[in-house]
Amino acid sequence: MSARLIVFTGKGGVGKTTLSLAQTLSLKESGKNVLYNNFDQFPNYGLCDRLRIPHLDLELEESAVEYMAQKLGSHMIAGWIMKTPFFSSLLHMLPGLGHIIIMGHLINRLEKDPTLTIVMDSPSSGHAMTMFESTHNFKKIFGSGMLFNDLNRMQDFLFSGDKVSVNVVTLPTEMAIHEASELKSAFLGFGLQDVKIVMNESLPSIPEMTPERVALLPEFLSKKYQIESQIIESFKSEITNTFPHLVNESMAESITELAKYFGGSK
Amino acid sequence: MMREKPIEIFCGTGGVGKTTLSASRAIQLAASGKKVLLITIDPAKRLKEILNMTDEAAGEITTIQSDIFRHQPGNVPYQFDALLMSPEHTLKRMAERNQSFQDFDNRIMKTLVRPYGGMNEIMAIIEVQYQMEQKKYDCIVLDTPPGKHFIDFLLSTQKIKRFFDKTFVEIFKYLGKSVGTQSEAPGMLSILVRTGIKKLLSYLEKVTGAQFVNDFIDAIVGLYRNRDSFLKAMAFQEELQKEEVSNWFLVTSVEQMKQSEARELREEAVRFMHNDNYLLINKSISQYLGDWFPQDEYLKKLRHTMLDKENRLKTMQDQSFRSSILFPEVLETSPAEHVGKLATEWSIHFPI
Repeated sequence: MSARLIVFTGKGGVGKTTLSLAQTLSLKESGKNVLYNNFDQFPNYGLCDRLRIPHLDLELEESAVEYMAQKLGSHMIAGWIMKTPFFSSLLHMLPGLGHIIIMGHLINRLEKDPTLTIVMDSPSSGHAMTMFESTHNFKKIFGSGMLFNDLNRMQDFLFSGDKVSVNVVTLPTEMAIHEASELKSAFLGFGLQDVKIVMNESLPSIPEMTPERVALLPEFLSKKYQIESQIIESFKSEITNTFPHLVNESMAESITELAKYFGGSK
Repeated sequence: MMREKPIEIFCGTGGVGKTTLSASRAIQLAASGKKVLLITIDPAKRLKEILNMTDEAAGEITTIQSDIFRHQPGNVPYQFDALLMSPEHTLKRMAERNQSFQDFDNRIMKTLVRPYGGMNEIMAIIEVQYQMEQKKYDCIVLDTPPGKHFIDFLLSTQKIKRFFDKTFVEIFKYLGKSVGTQSEAPGMLSILVRTGIKKLLSYLEKVTGAQFVNDFIDAIVGLYRNRDSFLKAMAFQEELQKEEVSNWFLVTSVEQMKQSEARELREEAVRFMHNDNYLLINKSISQYLGDWFPQDEYLKKLRHTMLDKENRLKTMQDQSFRSSILFPEVLETSPAEHVGKLATEWSIHFPI
């Protein structure tokens, strides 16, 4: 896999966190230099530490100070600017600005260390759109200057070549797949090159689900199984990868099991 | 028994079914003769798919006829209004009312109010407040953005207040822009602030370019000229805290292992909430698996993990929710059928 930034997005609750942690774990186990980043959301670092998954934690205000410090050549001035009500209100009013600051920070890390891969557990659909669209929006807003040049650099990274791979995670229902396809086209429209739809939590993809067991399912689960099988069949050209519904007691176990799917051993 | 209130708010982490449950509640209310407006603030706009609306409908109130829902409570036709939030439309209407188009004719403002431009939550507060003020509806059902973006929505009024902080007045004075505020005696403090601003703007210009600083100041001045409209939305925050004004529903889903996020969300939101809170447990499957006792070890495990998730959510209900309601998972493939079926569930639990 040549992508340097691997993004997992999709609607809430589809398993973005589980899949991105599994992807990170799998890359780490194959000896790669890889970091997990959860893009300014509810963190679960306890889980990362238990699984020995290396993570990169960026906090918005610190990232913004660091960025300004680089530009102005002084950490003190940058800190002062960020503390003014003027600038801190600006950051809070405009979440898109925060998004590009963090995204810029991640890209900087990747450019500095050519061996590094980052797996991004991205915000869910709508807010992921804000994240990618913001690079275009703020270019229009700034028009010129240092930030404008940095945005161009960011866009080069994001939108040309194969450095970024986006996985839109979906559940096995028709409505969810339609939404995922809509999101995929929007991402392609922003300029992203490599966008895939991956399906999670699928009953027919469970290796243990033999025809004998399917016959023993109660009416509700049997109907669910049939519906999902039909969906997988009719959307097979659009879905790149399918992950099974898991029956583990904990998220840590699920992550370890899913990591095998990324590693190619399943 | 649940009291009927002018606002009903649905919040929860992403993907739990806020939109389907709020749409089905709107159907139930409308079917029993209430005038209902359903608003979605979620930029994912799932409502569009459920109600057969198009992207062009964003920002405009659309009337939905009952014939698109096949399972419906009662057989009398009904209708209700639905609105997909569009920050651009909200701002445009504000400009019309204030006759202040020139204030927003600015490339920064134009970019920010695009659908994913980042001003969704703030403009949403203004939109809801406006619709409340019209007094056209018996009930406004509100589908909010997921997780912490719901908290962003609740914090919007504080952000608005902070934005129009006195410091900005100082900036305008320094720049000699007229914003219609009473002048204050330039004391030592304001002189200090002014020198600070001069420095600040020069640093900002160094990073962003001069054009941005100009546009940015114009945008702020534009916003400031319309500040009354923004500040009026703050009244809505106070309304929300009144028990007689709103019912709250925290939506959770059996499909997800997200009890801890739901708890965090509840704890954050409780600062703005009162006690008329209900816990909705969506996609419940216990009623389908209750009398299934497989012998096979793997299937036993499958049954156990599926039911275990649901049981863990049920333990949340002792956390001072007025009551908790189970909504069964619906396998209907058509979105309209799906919400129609859930509307029937609403009438079972909360008959009107």
